[in-house]
Amino acid sequence: MSNSLPEQTKTPAPAGVFTLVITGAPYSSQAPQTALHFARAALAANKRIDRVFLYGDGVHLASSLSTPPSDELNLSEAWAGFMAENNIPGVACIASALRRGLVNESEMQRHELSAFNLRAPFEIAGLGEWVDSAASESRVLYFHRGS
Amino acid sequence: MSTLIIIDQPPYGSWEGREALDMAFSLAAFDQPVSLLFCGAGVNWLRKGQDATTIQQKSVERNLAAAPVFGVEALLADNKACDHYGLTEEDLLDPVSITDFGPELTSRFDHVAFAG
Repeated sequence: MSNSLPEQTKTPAPAGVFTLVITGAPYSSQAPQTALHFARAALAANKRIDRVFLYGDGVHLASSLSTPPSDELNLSEAWAGFMAENNIPGVACIASALRRGLVNESEMQRHELSAFNLRAPFEIAGLGEWVDSAASESRVLYFHRGS
Repeated sequence: MSTLIIIDQPPYGSWEGREALDMAFSLAAFDQPVSLLFCGAGVNWLRKGQDATTIQQKSVERNLAAAPVFGVEALLADNKACDHYGLTEEDLLDPVSITDFGPELTSRFDHVAFAG
């Protein structure tokens, strides 16, 4: 029986720049930690990460209020530190974020909420940020919750 | 740059499919070619006559009706999944085409993304 997979003659995008899309939530899924390990390995191999985009349940990663026990890894803090050290922009999708109670100061005011909880350097923006990456030369990798 | 968004989640069990639909609509809004493929339990998105009022949700049928308006190029249903759920073309929304989900299909797109 012959292999029916088409021969791959070229990669879909140059394997030098990556966009990471994280849709799995911290602590409910391994997605944010796997993505962080990938990101560290990519930079160590002289690759670039142009953007981290949080979507769906992945927006919980940008919460400034997550407070795991002190002997556990704080994934939000680890990601925020990594992005700040390496000047990587992090964006949480606004629709996903507002639906799940993750807001910045301006959204707090707009929706007359009592608090905001977006952790710097994450920002809140629309899906256009993801479209921008998808339409660029970046290779877009998705980190889902898994089944 | 053409994109295939794959929805493999049932319509009312989580928000992942709805959020994947938003991704497709967003690409279309920015004039990027996009098609949607429904596979696995995701083919249930495509049933005619859905009513989600008792669970206080909007019917995904209504969301999908907007796909051609937004400029989504094709709504595709995986043949095997349709068989599995006993769905024929008559059971599915009008603009849907039944197709075989495999490398021949995905290789026609520059970018393939699953709902979750």
